[in-house]
Amino acid sequence: MDSARSTEPVRRPPVPVKIVIAGGFGVGKTTTVGAISDIPPLTTEAEMTAESVGIDNPGQRTEKRTTTVAMDFGSVSIDHSLKLYLFGTPGQERFGYMWDDLSRGALGAMVVVDASRLDDCYPAVDYFEQVGLPFIVAVNAFDGRLGADLDTVRWALAIQDHTPVVAFDARNRTSVRDALLVVLDLALHRAVSHRSPLRA
Amino acid sequence: MSIPPEGGGAPRIRPFLSGAPARPPAPSQHVEPVPQAGQAALRPFILTGGRVNADSADIKLETQVTARPGAPPHLVAAMAPESQHILHLCQSPLSVAEISARLHLHLGVIKILVADLHHAGYLDLHAFETDPVFDPDTILRVINGLRAIH
Repeated sequence: MDSARSTEPVRRPPVPVKIVIAGGFGVGKTTTVGAISDIPPLTTEAEMTAESVGIDNPGQRTEKRTTTVAMDFGSVSIDHSLKLYLFGTPGQERFGYMWDDLSRGALGAMVVVDASRLDDCYPAVDYFEQVGLPFIVAVNAFDGRLGADLDTVRWALAIQDHTPVVAFDARNRTSVRDALLVVLDLALHRAVSHRSPLRA
Repeated sequence: MSIPPEGGGAPRIRPFLSGAPARPPAPSQHVEPVPQAGQAALRPFILTGGRVNADSADIKLETQVTARPGAPPHLVAAMAPESQHILHLCQSPLSVAEISARLHLHLGVIKILVADLHHAGYLDLHAFETDPVFDPDTILRVINGLRAIH
């Protein structure tokens, strides 16, 4: 049992941190992840329990459905002992309990938005507001054009004033980096206020 | 001399040539279950002996997993191929999400297999003392690390 120790010691794993990249299909989540990830985005499938309250048919009873969603993810090795994971998840399903698994322990989230299809991101925005996960709304500038100005997006999504709305280009590494830095700024703020003596 | 129409004479082919709506493909003569979403959702759980709820609740997507050195080869060889594959991958630290992606198996299945291998003493799951979410120093390191990206 102890003899194997000499052959190849298992490296000490890095501390993992994660940021959730949410948004509807085709808004550029995977592009976002791929633009900054050290590795080409990987895909994993997960079962999610979606609780559909029936937006279209409010009279119907709440029913639970289990759907398989594909998550594309990547990672950025900050240094040998710290690794940032980026999980890209579709946001148009009603978020169910399994989403807690995703946002539990996340530093924050970035909701990627196509300004011409804003309603795709409502469930994600609702969810992150409910669970109190710091998030930003990042409007992907398709072909360099936003489609709507940021104030219009903020108004249409009815998000709170403290939630940043930024424009970014999902294909551009530094643009994605800057958007993530806005998320991390919120995360830092949360961590600091969590530690403040007011709370103790 | 006229050639009698094949198969008894009814003009069965004509309508299709004149642009009538094509008949749907012949109803399945051999009944074969169509592999749909249900199959993908069902099959992987056979690997876990039908359990869908191991105490894998504490295993997160980003949980780091390493193989514990010194597993007796004959015991490893007797394991399901998927478990062997996990042990092989985890010679270096790997996240649960990466294991799932590399093995092309659902996350839920991987969590259960990883939990089992952990309980059997083959895998280490790494937990960290401080929750990075509330650790400003860790977050600052991430910020500085990202700023260095150009």
